[in-house]
Amino acid sequence: MIGRKASSGVRDEMKYALFLGCMIPQRIPSVELAAKKVFEKLDIEAIELQGYSCCPDSVVARLLDRKMWLILAARNLSLAEKQGLDLLVLCNGCYETLVEAREILKHDPQIAKEIREILAKAGRKYEGKVKVRHVIEVLHEDVGVDKIKKFLKKPLKSRLAIHPGCHMFRETEGDDIWRKPKQFEEIVQATGADVVKNKLDRLCCGFPVMQVNEEFALKRNLLPKLVAYQEQGIEGVVVSCPACNVQFETGQVLLRKYGARFNIPCLHIVELLAIAFGFSAKELALDIHRSPVQQLAQKVI
Amino acid sequence: MIESIKKKVGVGVLGAAFQERKISVTVDPSAIRQVTCALLEHRPRFVITAAVDLGMDIELLYHFDVEGKLIVVRTKIAKEHNQIDTIVDLMPAAEWAEREAAELFGINFSAHPRPGHFVLPKDWPSDKPPLRESFKGVLPEQFCPVAESLVSTGMTAPMSPLMQRKREEAGLPHSPPASFANETSLSEVHEAMKGAEFDKKAGYDWKKGKLRRA
Repeated sequence: MIGRKASSGVRDEMKYALFLGCMIPQRIPSVELAAKKVFEKLDIEAIELQGYSCCPDSVVARLLDRKMWLILAARNLSLAEKQGLDLLVLCNGCYETLVEAREILKHDPQIAKEIREILAKAGRKYEGKVKVRHVIEVLHEDVGVDKIKKFLKKPLKSRLAIHPGCHMFRETEGDDIWRKPKQFEEIVQATGADVVKNKLDRLCCGFPVMQVNEEFALKRNLLPKLVAYQEQGIEGVVVSCPACNVQFETGQVLLRKYGARFNIPCLHIVELLAIAFGFSAKELALDIHRSPVQQLAQKVI
Repeated sequence: MIESIKKKVGVGVLGAAFQERKISVTVDPSAIRQVTCALLEHRPRFVITAAVDLGMDIELLYHFDVEGKLIVVRTKIAKEHNQIDTIVDLMPAAEWAEREAAELFGINFSAHPRPGHFVLPKDWPSDKPPLRESFKGVLPEQFCPVAESLVSTGMTAPMSPLMQRKREEAGLPHSPPASFANETSLSEVHEAMKGAEFDKKAGYDWKKGKLRRA
């Protein structure tokens, strides 16, 4: 919607409404901090969306009440639309909710009418003009891997795993579900890190399952992934979703009560880039993490 | 008849549904005596009062017969308040029905002229009404904190003071520019919740600012 596609394949104007969501500002604000630093370096103008609510989350909130889920999502879309900006999101769950809500409102005129009428009571309107962009898409398609490489302090020397997260595989029907995960991998590779593949890469981290069966989520989802990472000598896990990040970190703590001890750092892609761009662990407030991300930062630079 | 009741009772009448030989009138529990008084002008015959446990509320259905047409006055009382005015002084035939509902569901019909034991065995404990279930909302218990936070703040969890401090130490504003940080935005979110009727579904008490509990 905004910005122009330059002939080089990257945008020469990058301005978005930044959707922070719940999890990042309330659980791991170091991701918010890193995003601001990285965006500034890469000439991305990310204007924080004012007055937003939870996206709301694409699993629990949606199951609680689909109409409530859709109204809040539509309101968030309408806030960005009023600013005339596309939405930039840092979370897979927010991405799925906002994209799906956009599609539902586009293709289901009956529900769209109902939602618009409720929004109108609050003086809001939504016309379906806003696009939702995941930070991975913006970094890969609008910024470009070559530009990212220009800002590297020095290549990261580390063996990293990528956990794309379930919701990253959501695409409009017919599109390549591996588009964003591949972009994600290329961005991590651009930092110089060695991306180590794993047969369990697509296994859910277990975050949504925690709400109904914590033991199952920890033992059947998280534990096999951590074991595989340990066997492969992985030094850190990179995610593109704060919920996955929280699950990898608190999950390692909770698994101790079942006798499983791990100490694998987990960080968000914008934090990895910020580290690669030379920002220190202190500048990035990496001590907020519950896994040893600070040590990883000191080791890789 | 319904129009005349509405005229007399006003906002206490919440709605009405018409069928060939039946009219259902939904009323606020505080209006039950007014509605009964208004009905009396049409010379009703009292049929029965039935109680239904809905989880968070108990629904009372007062059945009357007016010239062969069934009039069902429906009202809900919150389990945590558990009280409604008696209509026995206005409609003496309701005495046994109210005593039965009181004993089986634990409802307090205030100012009932003869409360007390009615149908249960004499040694039945008075604090264990057999047809009353424990307070239970529509939403699964483990999701109630998320639902409460969503309705009240628009976010899945409230911002903790610890995280506010950590944000400030990191050089960030103590709160993000989210709905809970702005009165106008929060009011919009609240309207959205009402528009979706999620507040009702979750059992949100707007006065207390939290989900209803037993």
